[in-house]
Amino acid sequence: MEAAWCDLEQMEYDRAYSLQTRLVELCRRRRQSVFILNVEHPRVFTLGRRGGREHLMVSPERLEAEGIQLVQIERGGEITYHGPGQLVLYPIFHLRSLGLSVSAYVELLEEVMLRTAADHGIRACRDPRNHGVWVGDDKLGSIGIAIRHGVTFHGLALNVNTELTPFGWINPCGLTNTRMTSFACQGQAPEPREVQQRLNHHLAALLNLTLTPTPLTTLEAALEAARKD
Amino acid sequence: MKELQELHLPENLGYTEDHEWAQLTGDTIRVGVSDYAQDQLGDIVFVELPAVGDSFNRGDEFGTLESVKAVSELYLPVSGQVVAVNQELEDAPELLNEDPYSNWILEIKPAAAEEYDQLLTAAAYLELLQG
Repeated sequence: MEAAWCDLEQMEYDRAYSLQTRLVELCRRRRQSVFILNVEHPRVFTLGRRGGREHLMVSPERLEAEGIQLVQIERGGEITYHGPGQLVLYPIFHLRSLGLSVSAYVELLEEVMLRTAADHGIRACRDPRNHGVWVGDDKLGSIGIAIRHGVTFHGLALNVNTELTPFGWINPCGLTNTRMTSFACQGQAPEPREVQQRLNHHLAALLNLTLTPTPLTTLEAALEAARKD
Repeated sequence: MKELQELHLPENLGYTEDHEWAQLTGDTIRVGVSDYAQDQLGDIVFVELPAVGDSFNRGDEFGTLESVKAVSELYLPVSGQVVAVNQELEDAPELLNEDPYSNWILEIKPAAAEEYDQLLTAAAYLELLQG
C-alpha cells in the first residue's frame, strides 16, 4: 500500500497536532489513505488523557522561564516530554485497513524502535509491564497512540540526542523513578536524519508500505480539497 | 486476536460501526462495547465515563477506553441523557475484557426511540467486520 510521507522537520506541537487531527478526518473518509509524519518538536510537556499534572515536579513559573510549553492531549499514557533531538513518528491510518489490532500495532511500533536501535549498535528490549523500548532499566523510546473512529494517530518518540534534563522534572508516563536514555547516552552519535531514515524504513517494511515523499503544501492542498468535498 | 467466527455477538443487541452495542431494557438503553472492540484493544486499563445527567447526540464521543498506551474514543449509539454509569469499571476496567456484554458502560434515557431501530443487527455487524 502507498503512504504519503511528510517530513515536518521542526514543528510546534500544537501545529503538528492540528495537522494530525485533520488527516485523521481524511482517513476516516478515505479508508485506504496512510500518512506518515516525521517531526521534532520544540521543548514541550504533554499530558495524556489521564492527566498526570501531579507528575510534573516543577512550577509553572519555572516552565515559563525555561520556555517549555505544557499541552493537554488525548493520547494514551500520561505525561511526557518532547524536544529537539527526539525523533517523533506519527503514522495515521485506519487500523482495520491494514488488518491490525491495537495491541498488535503497539508491539509493531516497539519493533520499529528495537530494529532502529539495533542498526546503530544499541541492544534495546521490551518490558512486558511497561510498553516502549528500554536499554536495561532506562527508557530509550516511548509510545502513545489514540484511536478515533478506527483511525490511529500520535505514535512513537525515540531519543537520539535529546537533552534528558527535562525528563528529570517529571515522572514520565506516571512511572516513578524511570530514567530516560538516548542514543547519545549509549555512546552512539548518528545524525538524527540517518536514524529517521532507519525508523521509516522499518515502519514501511513492517506495515508493507511504499513511502511517497509528500511536501506539507501537498498535504495541505489535499486537506483543503477534501474539506470542500 | 480472535477470528471473526469466534466473536460472541448476541442477537438481542443493536450494534454500531464503531463497535458499541445497545440494548433496550424497559425505557432505558444500556450501552457497551462489542467483543470485537475489547479483543482489538487488548488489556483495558482505564475507562473514562461521562457524568450522570450529561446529554449527547447519536455519534457523540461520550468517553474513552485506554488499553496499554492507546486511547480509543467511544461514541453513543443513540441520542439521550445518561441516567447511570457502571462505576465498577472505574476500579476494574478489565471486566470489559472478561465479558463486554454483562459489563455495560452506561445507561441512557433515549431522546429519539426510533434511532434504536436503526442500529445494526448482529448479522449486519458481523458482515461489516467481514467487509
